[in-house]
Amino acid sequence: MVKFLSEAWIEIGKNYMLEKLDPVNDLKNISTSLLGVVEHIPPNDSTMNFYLELKEGKLIEFIVNSGDTYKGKEAIYEIRGNYGTYKSILQGEMSLGIAVLKNRLKLKGSKMQALRLIKPLDGIIVSLREITDEF
Amino acid sequence: MSSKNEIDMEISKNNEAINIAKKGTHCGMCRIDFLGTGLCPAGKKNGYIAYWPQGRMEIFNSLNSGRVKPTKKLLEIVDSCTFCGICDKQCNFTTQLRPQRVHEALKEYAHNLKQNEFQNVPTDEKLKKLQEIVGEKWATNDPIIIASYRRNIVNPDKELNFYVVMPENSKELSEVIKFANTNNLQFMARGGGTLFAMVSSTVMKNAMGLEDGIVIDLLRMKKLEIKPDDLTAVVGAGITAFELQKEAYKHGLRANVAEAGAHICANLASTGICTTWGNTYGWASDNYIDVELVDEEGNIFNHGEMEIKNPYSVEHGLTSLKLSPPGILTEATVKLHPIFEGEEAVLIPFDNLKDALKLSLTLARQDIGLSLAILSRKYLAEFISPTPQIAKDFDYIAKNYMKLNYVVDVICHKNDKKIVEDMVDFTIDKEMMKTLILGSPKLASLKNSEFLKMLSEEENPCKAIFAGPMRKHLERGLEATPENISKIYDEDLQAFFKKIYSKPEMTDIVWLHAFRIFPSRLMRQRMFIPRGGVMWATEKIITDFHNMLKDTGEKHNLENALGYISFLEHGKFAVLEYDYYFDHTDPSVSKNVNNAVIESLERTLSMDGIISDLHFYFKGLHRKEHILYPVPKAINEEEKILFKELIGSVLGGE
Repeated sequence: MVKFLSEAWIEIGKNYMLEKLDPVNDLKNISTSLLGVVEHIPPNDSTMNFYLELKEGKLIEFIVNSGDTYKGKEAIYEIRGNYGTYKSILQGEMSLGIAVLKNRLKLKGSKMQALRLIKPLDGIIVSLREITDEF
Repeated sequence: MSSKNEIDMEISKNNEAINIAKKGTHCGMCRIDFLGTGLCPAGKKNGYIAYWPQGRMEIFNSLNSGRVKPTKKLLEIVDSCTFCGICDKQCNFTTQLRPQRVHEALKEYAHNLKQNEFQNVPTDEKLKKLQEIVGEKWATNDPIIIASYRRNIVNPDKELNFYVVMPENSKELSEVIKFANTNNLQFMARGGGTLFAMVSSTVMKNAMGLEDGIVIDLLRMKKLEIKPDDLTAVVGAGITAFELQKEAYKHGLRANVAEAGAHICANLASTGICTTWGNTYGWASDNYIDVELVDEEGNIFNHGEMEIKNPYSVEHGLTSLKLSPPGILTEATVKLHPIFEGEEAVLIPFDNLKDALKLSLTLARQDIGLSLAILSRKYLAEFISPTPQIAKDFDYIAKNYMKLNYVVDVICHKNDKKIVEDMVDFTIDKEMMKTLILGSPKLASLKNSEFLKMLSEEENPCKAIFAGPMRKHLERGLEATPENISKIYDEDLQAFFKKIYSKPEMTDIVWLHAFRIFPSRLMRQRMFIPRGGVMWATEKIITDFHNMLKDTGEKHNLENALGYISFLEHGKFAVLEYDYYFDHTDPSVSKNVNNAVIESLERTLSMDGIISDLHFYFKGLHRKEHILYPVPKAINEEEKILFKELIGSVLGGE
């Protein structure tokens, strides 16, 4: 169990997803990339992002950066929200769908295409929930 | 030591209070002075819902179910109530409840607590900061106050991990939002809270309530300025439909408003003030000139600013669902409309929807009538009857003896009245409506009478009773006087209600439409959840949609009825509200309601030409034409699957 957005979080998260999520059944063979921007991170009110890329249901890249861009990669989708919102999602208090509909997470990219990701992303969130206990 | 009788009486008094508190539906009518009684002095002075009758009832519920422990604030709240009796009059009129009995029980309970039974409320740095922004009195983390917001913004299942703040102006609100963001606190503003009250015992509570963080109560933003020269009014976020209408009427003007207790700004931002006057006065951005909003970053902006990106355009289709407005609306400049001399209500009864639709579509397309709607028998019964039982009996009589299942309800000026009267065989005129309102208790008592049996044998019972030879017998028989209708109220309230029903406006259908007083009774003692949408106005689309909603309600064993059908855009579009009624105090019903909501939404999306109500929620600030056009098409099979996944994620599914 690790702290959200730490290096260990990425490493354990990667391994957990590779081991526990089936590319076909859980990740529906999707190929996509997502930049999650996390704003208002305590204690210094900083911004970080994580970049996640999947190809045919396989995890290709999962990385954390500071700031609100990941240089060199352009994600198909960008979701942006404050730290508290991500925390609520990872703690299972709020669904990804509700966060987007309530505008707590702002989505850039085709909403229709994003709908297709809801189920696989829910699987990833559950994986990350399993390994995250510190915020 | 108390005797057994005294104890039994105590238990019985307490049980009565528990029942009253549970039945409270958060209609919000105790926060507007619709009977001329004045307002609850404690609520007016202290602001927080906790000090208003509806809030005290919710506190009582929470204490009774053990979901909150008393704090010292409880003593202050109970002592602020002087038992003046205003709430009993107001609440009794709309719901037949007696909230004062709850307040008495609450006060007794609070004063019998021992010192060690009060929990301490810990001091909190975040609270101090919020108090610095809005003033010490107007920010709190006291669980007793927070409990009063349950079921009208706070999800009833959640812990009371909230702050409540009451900013006085946009600047304070902006600072609260900025503070919330840097401290990772969620926030949500409330208006009247009625919409959430409706969904709070359904699966939608997770989607529409606040999970934790800051409840922003906008009740202190009470700016209200009528500008007769340009037919507008400036309203702050704390102003209700009733308050605006009352001021507008003083200037011979009318605002397009929904339910009496609805807050204008919240209503504009959520459903866009959708009313029976929509064909004439419009919908969504038609209703306002400009608005001031505070966005999610705390920026204050106006729609009138040249620099902002187009605020009126809107997404379409399946993915356009929204669960929040584009910002917190703090002030609106709304349009007002002239009241014409000699305006009248004309009601035309029908036994079937097809004929009612045919007439109303003709009227709508020719722009006849200021307010135009088809009302169901049930809606009409609830509208005119002073108690649920009388409404039920009226409904039975209308169905079984009068063949009256729908009325086309037109408010019009005298020229239009002539046109309507020329188009139909007969109408229910204003005198008859007055007779029906004041005589409804007597009519209900005639349920199995020979008179009604004779009436039912007429070829056209409605014509016979409203415009034929039986009319004079009905008028005589109903003994329609303020004194007689007042007898259905508790003895101690009869003199008061005799005076109320003696006021001309209480039987004036035009006034009642404009102020939306009687429809508040739809929420009495039980809840309903409206379903519906806006659709391309053909007889087939409207009828198919109506039948689908009816079928879904029946399938899930819910009492159901059409609310109303009204029109937009010179009759090109129709708005249909269909209501599912349920007892919100019975948790076993939730599953049926949830399934009916989800199924009806799914089936709506599968029909051509309809925008579901959930798809226009929180789009009220957008331009009507952007919402309505292009006329939507049914979603395809793949979209249906995706929709189910979305609904599963948002609502959890059942």
